[in-house]
Amino acid sequence: MLPSQTCFLSLVRDLTKRMAELAGFDEGTPDRIALAVDEATTNAIEHAYHGAADRAVELRFDEQGQELRVEVVDSGQGIDPRAMPRVDLERYASERRRGGLGVHLMGRIMDSVTFRRSARRNVCCLVKQKRPGPPEA
Amino acid sequence: MGELTVETRHLEGVTLLYPRGFINAHNVRLFESELQRVLEQGQFKLVVNCADLAYIASAGLGAIMGAIEEIRDHGGDLRLAGLNATVLNIFEILGMHRLYRIFASEAEAIQSFLSLEGPAA
Repeated sequence: MLPSQTCFLSLVRDLTKRMAELAGFDEGTPDRIALAVDEATTNAIEHAYHGAADRAVELRFDEQGQELRVEVVDSGQGIDPRAMPRVDLERYASERRRGGLGVHLMGRIMDSVTFRRSARRNVCCLVKQKRPGPPEA
Repeated sequence: MGELTVETRHLEGVTLLYPRGFINAHNVRLFESELQRVLEQGQFKLVVNCADLAYIASAGLGAIMGAIEEIRDHGGDLRLAGLNATVLNIFEILGMHRLYRIFASEAEAIQSFLSLEGPAA
């Protein structure tokens, strides 16, 4: 459990990177997983909690078989994933858009990103498979 | 702001920004404010030297995306140099390497403004 303050994001990143390394990911993948979890945690703090610094964000790490599962849990405002804007980078700048890149980045890094509401808590679940796959870029 | 410093230099009509550390949601305001300060001074030829930037989260990418239209509307450009593998990969994951000119070195990035290569990739 972490306080809902962005000053803890670097800790989230370092912890996630280490967990990914221990799970056997290498060659830059731990850094990318850490970034995805950083983004999910940021969203919990800034959107679910609207920046409130007196709440808590829970991180859960679970390695099962060929996948690493990370859940970012908050008890803030319910998030509707269907309302998340899809990002078109070509138009993003010209439309002077702000926000939305984090979810986009999470989706490009992880093999799956899902959102659910459970017992009045938001659960963002990020999963990365250990199998070799097509390059992310 | 934690673990980020941003220095600025001017060389041959080009403004160089040196973010050192990392950029995330916690410290992005420092980077944004320095970027905005430079723009308010009328400096629109920018090179962000990322040689000492360990990683950049979407907040930092958003700051760059938020400034680029104003910069290019003034006939300038924001170009990047010295990206490490992690930062370059982040740009590639989002496809931003197709929107911004990225150079291996600061010298090459500066030279791109001095030669007649045009403002953007």
